[in-house]
Amino acid sequence: MRKELEAQLAAQLRDEVVCVEKTDQRTIFIDVKREAIRRAARIVTEAGGRYMCGVGYDNIARDGTLGMVHTFSMDRNDHFICVRTKVPAIDPVMESITPDLPSAGWSEREFMDMLGMQFTNHPKPKRLVLADDWPAGIYPLRKEVPYDLVPPGADDVAYQLDEAPPGTKIVPIGPFHPSLHEPEHFAVYVDGETIKGCDYRGFMTHRGIEKLCQTQVSYNEVPFIAERICGICGSVHATAFSQAVESAGGIKIPRRAEYIRTLMLEIERIHSHLLWLGVAGHLIGFDTVFMQAWRVREQLMWLCERLTGNRKTYGMVLIGGVRRDITPEIADDIRAVVKKIEEELRVIHRAIEKDSSIHKRTKGVGTITKEETIAWGLIGPVARARGVDIDARRDHPYAAYNDMKFDVPVLTDCDVWSTLVVRVLETYEAIRIIHQVLDKMPAGPIFVELKDKIPALRHAITTVEAPRGESTHYVITGEDNRPDRWRVRAPTYTNLQAVPLMLLNEQFGDFPIIMGSIDPCFSCTDRVAVIDLQSGKASSMTRRELEFLSREQLHRA
Amino acid sequence: MNPTTETAWLLVGTNLLLFLALAPLFDGIVRRVAARVQNRQGPPLWQPLYDLLKLLGKENIDAVGILPFRLAPLVALASILCVVMILPVAGRATALTPYADTLTLIYLLTLGGVAVLVGAFSGKNIFALIGASREMTTMIMVEPILFMILLLGVIKTGSLELTTVLYGTPAGDYGWSGLIMIVIALFALQAFVGRQPFDIAEAEQELLGGPFIEYSGPNYALFKYYMMIKQMFYAYLPIAVFVPLLHSGLLVVDLILQLLLTALVFLVIGLLAATHPRYRIDQALNYFAGLFVLALGAVAGALFG
Amino acid sequence: MWLTSKIKQILMVMKPGIVTLDYPRQPAPAPATFRGQPVWDHHKCLGCGGCANHCPARCILTRDVCQELRVMLYDGSRCTYCGRCADVCPEEAITMSNNFQTACDDKNDITTRLELFMLTCQRCGRCYEMEKTNVIDRMELRGFRYDNLESRALIRQTTDTFSPETLAATEQYQRPSR
Repeated sequence: MRKELEAQLAAQLRDEVVCVEKTDQRTIFIDVKREAIRRAARIVTEAGGRYMCGVGYDNIARDGTLGMVHTFSMDRNDHFICVRTKVPAIDPVMESITPDLPSAGWSEREFMDMLGMQFTNHPKPKRLVLADDWPAGIYPLRKEVPYDLVPPGADDVAYQLDEAPPGTKIVPIGPFHPSLHEPEHFAVYVDGETIKGCDYRGFMTHRGIEKLCQTQVSYNEVPFIAERICGICGSVHATAFSQAVESAGGIKIPRRAEYIRTLMLEIERIHSHLLWLGVAGHLIGFDTVFMQAWRVREQLMWLCERLTGNRKTYGMVLIGGVRRDITPEIADDIRAVVKKIEEELRVIHRAIEKDSSIHKRTKGVGTITKEETIAWGLIGPVARARGVDIDARRDHPYAAYNDMKFDVPVLTDCDVWSTLVVRVLETYEAIRIIHQVLDKMPAGPIFVELKDKIPALRHAITTVEAPRGESTHYVITGEDNRPDRWRVRAPTYTNLQAVPLMLLNEQFGDFPIIMGSIDPCFSCTDRVAVIDLQSGKASSMTRRELEFLSREQLHRA
Repeated sequence: MNPTTETAWLLVGTNLLLFLALAPLFDGIVRRVAARVQNRQGPPLWQPLYDLLKLLGKENIDAVGILPFRLAPLVALASILCVVMILPVAGRATALTPYADTLTLIYLLTLGGVAVLVGAFSGKNIFALIGASREMTTMIMVEPILFMILLLGVIKTGSLELTTVLYGTPAGDYGWSGLIMIVIALFALQAFVGRQPFDIAEAEQELLGGPFIEYSGPNYALFKYYMMIKQMFYAYLPIAVFVPLLHSGLLVVDLILQLLLTALVFLVIGLLAATHPRYRIDQALNYFAGLFVLALGAVAGALFG
Repeated sequence: MWLTSKIKQILMVMKPGIVTLDYPRQPAPAPATFRGQPVWDHHKCLGCGGCANHCPARCILTRDVCQELRVMLYDGSRCTYCGRCADVCPEEAITMSNNFQTACDDKNDITTRLELFMLTCQRCGRCYEMEKTNVIDRMELRGFRYDNLESRALIRQTTDTFSPETLAATEQYQRPSR
């Protein structure tokens, strides 16, 4: 696989490939010159790569460049391919790959905002992450920008929406709207009751988590912050981050810890899918489904309270293992609760599976074809409901998933109803996995002491199958006992980009459920960074000096 | 003034009081039923009344600033109260009943709906506009069904007089057309009272309350009261039209029986509302069109059969 | 199909009955393993500052008033109840209680302030068993700590010896604002 790809790249790009590096069994890093990035991306895609995300990073202090990594997943043969390139900070221009890969659109826009990169031929080079009144020329993810800078606000700037198709009215959905749950803005162009287009302006809950973790906290504090990226798939983010650091640092964690992580991830999947089922019911105006699904889910929340000490933010994962052990008593508790949940979910499932009034609202709604799904790189239940058979648990096994036997439900109806069914079926599979985990769990320690320092500037990428799709974390280790760069790509980041496509020519009344069918999590999508400095300061300053400098500036201001 | 007119005026007052007092209670029943279907304790039965009182005590915000916007809730409530006042009580005409007939009833009911539309259209809110256009479409489809139900009574009794039309139908036998009409009335019930699956105009998840989005405080309370009384009227209507009076001779007994039956209708409303998703407007229109054709058939049956 | 589904939907409520609680009058107690508000035992605390070093929310602050007196401040309004402080405490002076109802009018009601008299180690000014921790945990923070207790801000800078400049800086430090 790797040989083939190398040969292809060598043949087509010749000396524009700088080097090919393989850090572990799974990951291949290919460094190319910036002129060749688009062609390299195309070659990898043709070889079967599915675009995951782009990662930009600031390397100015070391060699005056900004780095850009496009990451791809080879789902058939368990490989991650990272196409790396770098551009000088004084001329950060490279070619956009979005015309070939629409799902790269946001990644590139993000780093236009955050690092000041420029991508030629980008179809929609608008602001994505930063606020409308954020001053131009300040790139928060650059190292010279302090994490707590608050530039003065402005009132006279506003986001320019896309041109509305003729004859349509704009319906503003959000920032506050009952079907969104989080502040995001959709401008929906409707003609009567038919949706003719939509523009998205989100990232309103941008909290600067990536910047914070790159500048302020230490490695083992990050899992707790990562867990708070999302209120629903927190454990996923903590696990993904820990795995990335473990992979970069060559840390091998005990098998029992991996089993416990698997257990937590599956518990989280059950809770998330039940939550989604309830929300979906609410979004079509069927509050009984909402209440019933959440009633069933509540037992799991109480179980987690006993198991981890908290309903949702479990706080179980650390780099090197997990924090709490599974005792035989709690294992029996888990078995009993999970069994009860399965029974009760089957009752709900039977009550709604043949309900024609629910079918009316969900069948044939939000349809996109399998080809479009692949082109937009959709993931998770959204893709699996459209016949795309991908699941990171099976394709890139992590934690203890290689020991587990489970099915990946795939349906081909391509509509909202099939995403609902996929999620319910996945819940049953998750329960199966939990039983296996408890039966097969080996004895042993749950935490490994970190004897050595984690080496700096190692790159690592991991994916964890969150309930909504795969979560991708990319970590570059740093010197100060914290990551130099940590990039989180939540599943909604990818799936949301295709929502305008799903909405096209649908009824306005179906907006909430189509939006809801991807199980959007805006807080996951928004995370990242904030901040700056007036001009390009000498980048050789240490962080400590910079902190003082920035504080002085603030006092003066 | 002779004693009979005095009684008749007393009946007007009784009717008004009953509707004003019981409408929030019946709304509370719907909420409680929904809560029980969802394994919840649910709010107190008088919660809708508490809501109204709370809303009435709030600041009145004139969001639009033009007269129609302020008048709309008053007109809506006034029109439905007029309906209540001309309504016979358990088969006995009130002092105001002779001044109106079946057509007046329909006019007054439509006037309430129009007031909602006026309120919605007087603002520029896009959600109110979409909601109002949905409300209008629903009205155009649902009002004829109401008309057919009353028309059947008119045909069966051969009179336009309100007491006869409302309470006379069971006296002449139902016939199969009457039976069909009962089914239609049952299937159109949720649309009449504007609950799931036909709360399309308000559709909280997409339209955030639709026509009422700009209303708050006392103005909104008036609209809410209007909706509750309208809901009670529509729940009472099939009882009046299709269920024969007990004719116990005592007004109170007849009335209590009818109110109990109305409560039963509210139970059905609650159960239906709790077990249905909201339909889309195009699906609802298909549904109403089917009902309408069926109703036409029933009326034709009553005419020629 | 429609009718059978509706009947099933109504029947599925029968078995569980009413599950919601009349909350304030009918409280649901948290289990024993719950991670609620952390509680300090000032008899056990030796003022090592390990909790402050590991707090992801930065809500435990340490300030050395002088060589002998160390103030530890726990700012409950920022706490995320992760329980990391209880994990790392070498003396088990911190326990996670199962109190989660911490809403209050005054921030100070959920703030704990310890003033500890320190028997100082001549070299570093504090005692902390380094053997028990791993490399990641071994932060380079030693010596005097000058967190700003008034503005509840952590100053990630300490000195091995007393430095008036750092003290001045922490005194002036404020959270950035517009």
